[in-house]
Amino acid sequence: MESTLIRRSINALTLEWRADGSLWAMREGEERAVSVRRCFPWSEPTRHLSLRDEDEEEFALVRDPAELDARSRAALEMALAVAGFVFEVTRVLEIEEEVEIRRWRVETKQGPRTFQTRLDDWPRLLPHGGLLIRDLAGDLYHLAKTEDLDKQSRELLWAFVD
Amino acid sequence: MSTLQHLDDHIIARYTAQPARLPPELRRQIESAWQGAPVQLYALADLDQSLRLTETWVALGPRHLAVARRAGEGWEIRSVERRLIQAVREAPGLSANTLTILGTPDEPALALVRYTHRQRRAFENIRFVLEEQLEGSAREIPGMDADRVYAESIARPIREAQALISGRQTAVIRRLLGYLKPYRRQLTLGMTAATVITLVSLIPPYLAGYLIDRVVRPAQAGTLPLSRAITIAWLAVMAMALVYLVKQAAAYVRLRLMAILGEWVARDLRDELYEHIQRLSLAFFSRKRTGSLITRVSADTDRLWEFLAFGIVDVSLSLVMLAGLGTVLLTLDWRLGLVMTLPVPALCWVIYRHGENISRLFIRAWRKWSRVTDVLSDTIPGIRVVKAFNQEQREIGRFGERNEDVTAEFNRIHASWTTFWPLLVLAVHAMTITVWVFAVPRLLGSGAHLPVGTFVSFLLYTTMFLAPIDVIGQMARTINRATTSAHRVFEVLDTEPEVRDVAEPVRLEPVHGRVTFDHVVFGYDGVRQVLRGVSFDAAPGELIGLVGPSGGGKTTIVNLIARFYDVTGGTIRIDGVDIRRLDTGHFRRQIGMVLQDPYLFHGTVLENIRYGLPDAPLGQVIAAAQAANAHDFITKLQHGYDTVVGERGHTLSGGERQRVSIARAILHNPRILILDEATSSVDTETEREIQQALERLVAGRTVFAIAHRLSTLRKASRLFVIEEGRLAEHGTHAELLSRPEGKYRRLYELQLQLA
Repeated sequence: MESTLIRRSINALTLEWRADGSLWAMREGEERAVSVRRCFPWSEPTRHLSLRDEDEEEFALVRDPAELDARSRAALEMALAVAGFVFEVTRVLEIEEEVEIRRWRVETKQGPRTFQTRLDDWPRLLPHGGLLIRDLAGDLYHLAKTEDLDKQSRELLWAFVD
Repeated sequence: MSTLQHLDDHIIARYTAQPARLPPELRRQIESAWQGAPVQLYALADLDQSLRLTETWVALGPRHLAVARRAGEGWEIRSVERRLIQAVREAPGLSANTLTILGTPDEPALALVRYTHRQRRAFENIRFVLEEQLEGSAREIPGMDADRVYAESIARPIREAQALISGRQTAVIRRLLGYLKPYRRQLTLGMTAATVITLVSLIPPYLAGYLIDRVVRPAQAGTLPLSRAITIAWLAVMAMALVYLVKQAAAYVRLRLMAILGEWVARDLRDELYEHIQRLSLAFFSRKRTGSLITRVSADTDRLWEFLAFGIVDVSLSLVMLAGLGTVLLTLDWRLGLVMTLPVPALCWVIYRHGENISRLFIRAWRKWSRVTDVLSDTIPGIRVVKAFNQEQREIGRFGERNEDVTAEFNRIHASWTTFWPLLVLAVHAMTITVWVFAVPRLLGSGAHLPVGTFVSFLLYTTMFLAPIDVIGQMARTINRATTSAHRVFEVLDTEPEVRDVAEPVRLEPVHGRVTFDHVVFGYDGVRQVLRGVSFDAAPGELIGLVGPSGGGKTTIVNLIARFYDVTGGTIRIDGVDIRRLDTGHFRRQIGMVLQDPYLFHGTVLENIRYGLPDAPLGQVIAAAQAANAHDFITKLQHGYDTVVGERGHTLSGGERQRVSIARAILHNPRILILDEATSSVDTETEREIQQALERLVAGRTVFAIAHRLSTLRKASRLFVIEEGRLAEHGTHAELLSRPEGKYRRLYELQLQLA
C-alpha cells in the first residue's frame, strides 16, 4: 500500500530549474518551489527523496529518480548536489586536543579547512564505510576511504577508526 | 572594543581561518556606493556556485543589500534596493545552504548565495530583517554593531563549547598560583621541606664514598689508625641516620602541609566558583551544559588540588634533583658524570613521546568506552522497550561485542606501558653498565685514577636518576591537565552576570504588584526579536492569563517579569519603578513561581515547603500545605513532612510534587505570582485538586498564568493572546469570545472540538 501511495504521489511529477535559481515541482496543476531532503542520506542517498516547500511541508516523495522524465531527473540531480553537499576530506594535516575541543586541520576537495569538534564527539562510521565528522557549527566532513589516504593522515586518524 | 568581541575576534582568527570582519576597504566601497549609508549587518558566503570554498560578502544597509565577490585584487559589488525584494528563501542542506533573494516573479533572482553552516547564523540575521520588512514590520536597526553581530555569530558555537581562552598557559598558571597567596607561610614551609628532602637525598651516597675512600681503605692500608677510623665511621653512620631522620621529618612536613594547602585552595576555588555561579544570569546556564558546570566545581577543582599539592612541588624538585645529581656526578668524576648526564635529555624526550603515544591509545580506548556507555544509557532507561520488543538477547550481544572491543584497547595500553617501562629501566641500566665499562680499567689502575669510594657513590647516585626523569618527561601533560581545569574554572569566574543591580537599587516596601510593560522589545541574541513592542498594565490583584501558540513569547514575558533577563528595548515597571532600578534579590523575594515541571530539591517535604522561608513555623507549613491540598497525602506518607523526597522529588507523583510546590509558593507569600502550565501534566482529578489549591494561592496577588488548556483560565481578570511576540488580543474571556474573527475564539473553539 505504501508503494501505491508513493507511486500516486510521483504520478505526473515534473521538476525544473527556473530563472529565479530555485527548483520547482509541478504536479496536477499545482507548482511550488521546493528543496530536496534525502530520507536516507547515508544508507540510500540516491533514492527516497523528499521534496519540501518553503513551509517545510512535503510536496512529493520521489522513491526513485529513474521514475522521472530525463529533464526532471537532471534538475533533481542539480538540487541533490547542493542539498547533499558535505566536505570531502582528502588529507588530514593536524588533529590537536585543546581545552574541551579537538581542532582539525584538513584538506578537502573544496579547499583547505579548519574545524573543531567536542572532545566527546566521535566520528561516525557510515553504513557503507567511511567516516563522517560533524563540527561545532554543524558542517559535515566525509572521509570516503580512510585506507586510501596518505600515511600521515592514516596515522593521525588511527585513534578514530576501527 | 568589549572583552567579548575581542574574544570572538580571537576565536575567529585562531579557529576558522576566515576574516574576523568585513574587509574595511570593501566596507568603504559598499558604503560609498550607498551614498554613505552604513552597513548594518553582513555575512560571508563561503561557497561558490560550484560548491568550492570562496569569499563572497553579503551586506545589508538601511535601503540596500550588496553582494561583493572577489574579482582579481578588488571586488565586484552588486547592490540591489531593498524595496525591490519580494521574497527571501533559504534552502538548508547537509552542509551547504542556499539563500535566494527574489524580486519580480519569474525574473532571475536578485541574489543567490551559498554558505556552510558556520555562516548560517549570520545569514539568519539578514534573512530575519528582510522577512520583517516583507511582513511590513520593518524596523530600524539603530546603533547595531555589525562587526560584533558577525563575530558573535561565527564564534559562538566554539565559545559555547570551549572554556574561555583567558590567556597563555603561563598566565593561567600565574593566576592559579595567586590562590596560594593567603597561605604563603605554609607554602614556604612546604617548599623548604621539599627542598630539604631533595638535598639531603644527595648526602648518603656521598657519605658511602667518603667512608670507603677516607676511612675503610686507609684503615685497611694502615695509613689511618683503627681507633680513629672507627670513630669517623661511627660518626658517618650517625650522620647517615640523622640524614634519614631529617629527610623523613621533612617528608612528613611537606606531604602534610602541601596536601592541606591544596585542599584549602581547592575549597576556596569551589566556594568562589559556586558563589559566582549563583550570581550568574539564566542566559549563562542556557549556554552551558549542567554536567559541565558540575564537573568544574567538582572534578576540575579536585584536579587543581592534585596539581597544587603535588604537581608543582614534584616538577620543581625534580628539576632541582636532576640539576643537583648532574652537578654532583660531574664534580665527583666528570668523565663518568658525562656518561650519566648526556643521555638525560634523550630519556626525557623518550618519556614525553611515550606519553603522546599513550594519549593516542587512550583516545581510541575512550572512543570505544563511549560505545559501551552508549548501550548502557540507551537500554537501562529504556528497559521497558527492550523487554516489550523482546530484544534482551540482541542487547546482550551488542554490549558483549563492545565490551570485548574496549577490553582489547585497554590491553593494548597495558601492552604499551608494560613494554616501555622495563625498556626505559634497561636503558638506565645500560648507562650504569657503560659507567662500569669506563670505570673498571681505571679502578684497576689503567687511565685516570678513580677511587673506589667515588665509584660506589657514583653507582648509588645512578639509582636516583629514574624518578625525576619520569616526572620531567610527564611535566607537559601534568601542566596541560592543570591548565585545562584552570581554564574551565576561570571561565566561569570571568563571566559577568548579565543582569546586575544599579549602584543604589530601589527596594519597594511594600510591593503592591502593579506590572507595566511599555513597548517592551526583547531578543535573546540581540537581532531576532522574541517580543516586539509589547505594552500592557496589570493592576495589583489582577489574574492575567497568557495564551497563544508555542514560541509566541509567553514564557519570555514571565521571564522578564522575574528579571531573569533585561529588556533590549522599552521598559518594564513594577509599581511605577523601572525593574532595572530595583534591588533584584529583594524584588525576587516578592515573586513566586509554579512551573509545569515543579522542581523539588533532595531533602524532606518540610525543607522543600520551607525553601523560601527556612524559619517558617511548622503551623504555617501545615496551613500552606492544607491550602495547597497537599496536607492529606503528606500525612499519609510514612515519615509525614519529614519524608525525604529524593532527587528532584522523584519519590512523589507529578501531582504531589505540584501541590508541594504550590504549598511552597503559598508559604513564600509572593506579591506577584507566575503560573507556567501548572496543571498541564496531571490527570483530571489531580487537576481539580490543583486548581482548587491555585485558586486559594492566587487570591490577593497579581498573577500571570500561562496555560494551553484555556478552560483553566476562565476566572482570569483578563486574557492576553500573545502571538509572534506581540499582544494580539486582550480582554475578558467573555469579551474575547464575542469577537467573531478573534484569535482567542478560534483557539477556544478548536479546543472544544478536540475535547
